[in-house]
Amino acid sequence: MSLQLLFDALALGGIYAIAALGIALIFGVMRLVNFAHGQFIACAVFALIVPSTDALAVLGLGALPAPVLVPLILLIGAGLAVAAEALVFRPMRNASPVALMVGSFALGVALQNLLLVLYGGRPKAVSLWAELGQPVQVATASVPLLQLIVIAAVAVILAGLALMLRKSRLGLEMRAAAEDFTMARMLGVRSNRVISGAFALSGALAAVVALVLVAQTGVADVRMGGQIMLVAFIATVVGGMGSLSGGVAAGLGIGAASALLQAGLPADARPFRDAFLYGGVILVLLFRPQGLFAPVGAKPRV
Amino acid sequence: MKRLASHVVALTLLAPPVLAQEDLTVGFAIAKSGWMEAYDTPAATAAMIRIEEINAAGGLLGRQIKVVEADTRTDRAESAKAGLDVLDQGAEMMVVSCDYDFGAPAALVAEGEGMNSFFLCAEDVKAGIQGVGPNSFSSSVLAPVQGATMAEWAHAKREARTAYVLEDTFIEYNKGICTGFNWMFPQLDGAQIVGSDTFKNDDASIASQITRIKELPEQPDVIMLCSFMPGAAAAVRQLRAAGINSLILNGSAVDGSYWLEATPDLSGFVVPVQGSIYGDDPRPEVEAFNKAYEAKTGSRPASQYAYPGYVLIDLWAKAVERAGTVEGAAVTAELEKMRDEPTAFGPRTFTSELHHQNTALMQIIEITGGKPARVDEWRISQPVPLDVLMKK
Repeated sequence: MSLQLLFDALALGGIYAIAALGIALIFGVMRLVNFAHGQFIACAVFALIVPSTDALAVLGLGALPAPVLVPLILLIGAGLAVAAEALVFRPMRNASPVALMVGSFALGVALQNLLLVLYGGRPKAVSLWAELGQPVQVATASVPLLQLIVIAAVAVILAGLALMLRKSRLGLEMRAAAEDFTMARMLGVRSNRVISGAFALSGALAAVVALVLVAQTGVADVRMGGQIMLVAFIATVVGGMGSLSGGVAAGLGIGAASALLQAGLPADARPFRDAFLYGGVILVLLFRPQGLFAPVGAKPRV
Repeated sequence: MKRLASHVVALTLLAPPVLAQEDLTVGFAIAKSGWMEAYDTPAATAAMIRIEEINAAGGLLGRQIKVVEADTRTDRAESAKAGLDVLDQGAEMMVVSCDYDFGAPAALVAEGEGMNSFFLCAEDVKAGIQGVGPNSFSSSVLAPVQGATMAEWAHAKREARTAYVLEDTFIEYNKGICTGFNWMFPQLDGAQIVGSDTFKNDDASIASQITRIKELPEQPDVIMLCSFMPGAAAAVRQLRAAGINSLILNGSAVDGSYWLEATPDLSGFVVPVQGSIYGDDPRPEVEAFNKAYEAKTGSRPASQYAYPGYVLIDLWAKAVERAGTVEGAAVTAELEKMRDEPTAFGPRTFTSELHHQNTALMQIIEITGGKPARVDEWRISQPVPLDVLMKK
């Protein structure tokens, strides 16, 4: 495998891993598959531009310098997710997982239509950090600076999150809640705090994905989070529902497999890349229906 | 079926007293909400401009044209309902959504009534006889013609001899562009397609595709990018960022300057269009339309996709005048007699085999230093044959 291919695979896998982590975090604490995650991403992207249905987009927040912009967009993502939890999912706390899932679908549709009303249906151009596209020579590979930043950011975020989950009180509570939510509550874990914390983290991760996507593609589109959300959901299933590291590993794996298939398939088969990819996913699930890294807590106990 | 028949009977019994004979009703079953709205509204506005012009000049067959509307909500099932809705409101001709998938359910309703239907801007051969039926038309230019125009123009005017084809497999339109290019380019003297690859419009990254282009022994003269927004803007940004400086050719779908911010200072990017929105079209009628559009909406057209709406009403009204009736089959017969019928946006032809343009005079727009400008015009030397159009 060439070095170039390794970078391509890591960069795509990294984006999917971050998105998968955002989904796995929420599933871990409240058994909710948040199908609105894709719209969280889209909202964070559109937060960069001034609301208007004109064809030409005007940068709003996006014009701020990066040291201000990045934390601000992360905060917006986190705020949106926490608000969604408080307004939509908290009243549904005791509903069945299926009802929660349908609720998240509804929230996603509502958010998408809100964006349509505010911004119109036409994709918009957002020139964010265009200079990050410049290629950098790394040994034999020519890699866009952005790819290196994505790979580094994924590593930092994963390390930071792992540290937080192991060392901080909120992390301990989250792990306990993911293991057995009822038991954790009985032992004094405040459920609202844990769940809000998980949503805030998840929303901030959606904002990270949004920033990377915008920097990569230069466009904002109301439908843009959908495909990533789908891949991320599949990654959490393949990784084992509720397993954070499993979701991350599967996200990386799916991204890498996608890049490898694109590079390796003969030209006639390339349009069917995703069919091969999801064929592989089915194979994995046939042999390990519970996912690759299913946590012990996910097994039904009698 | 029986129920439908009884509805029709009920309608015909009810219709005469309700509908005054003075007004001639055109039904618009188009997206007024959802993401398709951004594409349907400009073309529908252009159609209204032509309708207002006709009404101001005394109407059609001595009758004023009245417009009724229904919303497809960018939904295939709602599209059929919208078709029935405008039918109930007395439509005698139906204008349907831009895209084949979203317009066809409504167009089929019109076809079932033996009524004419026009797609606002469909560029897929199915949006006509081949997919809907004998009374359905589109006034836009088929996607393969756009691809073939790019091939022949780049070969003649930019000495393109090697080409790389990058196809977005997301919608049929993209495949049509590449079909036309792949048909035309290899026929040309000394021209060769040196490679091809595919991607999907919503791919988060096309790094692997770019790596493949960079591994070629020599950069291709041109890259044929068969895609639309937002994927096309994303692909261009990534191609240029990776240092690939080949001339990039496209279909009409990427016309408009609204997305250029995505790749600052873009150069060497060419689009074929039916008319220029940038005020530099050599035909005064085009600029007159742009001004009329601005007067009506407050801004100039964002892309060339307003124009087919104007052309379709123009052509249909001419055929109605010649047929002396709005009855579907009679108007279709008149439309099918049109050979290089002049319009503000170039000549149009319909035949009993094809209700689309398999060749057209196209304006060539090139983007240099982030500024779009009309640089040339081109009409392909031979029409795209029907078997090429069909075997996508």
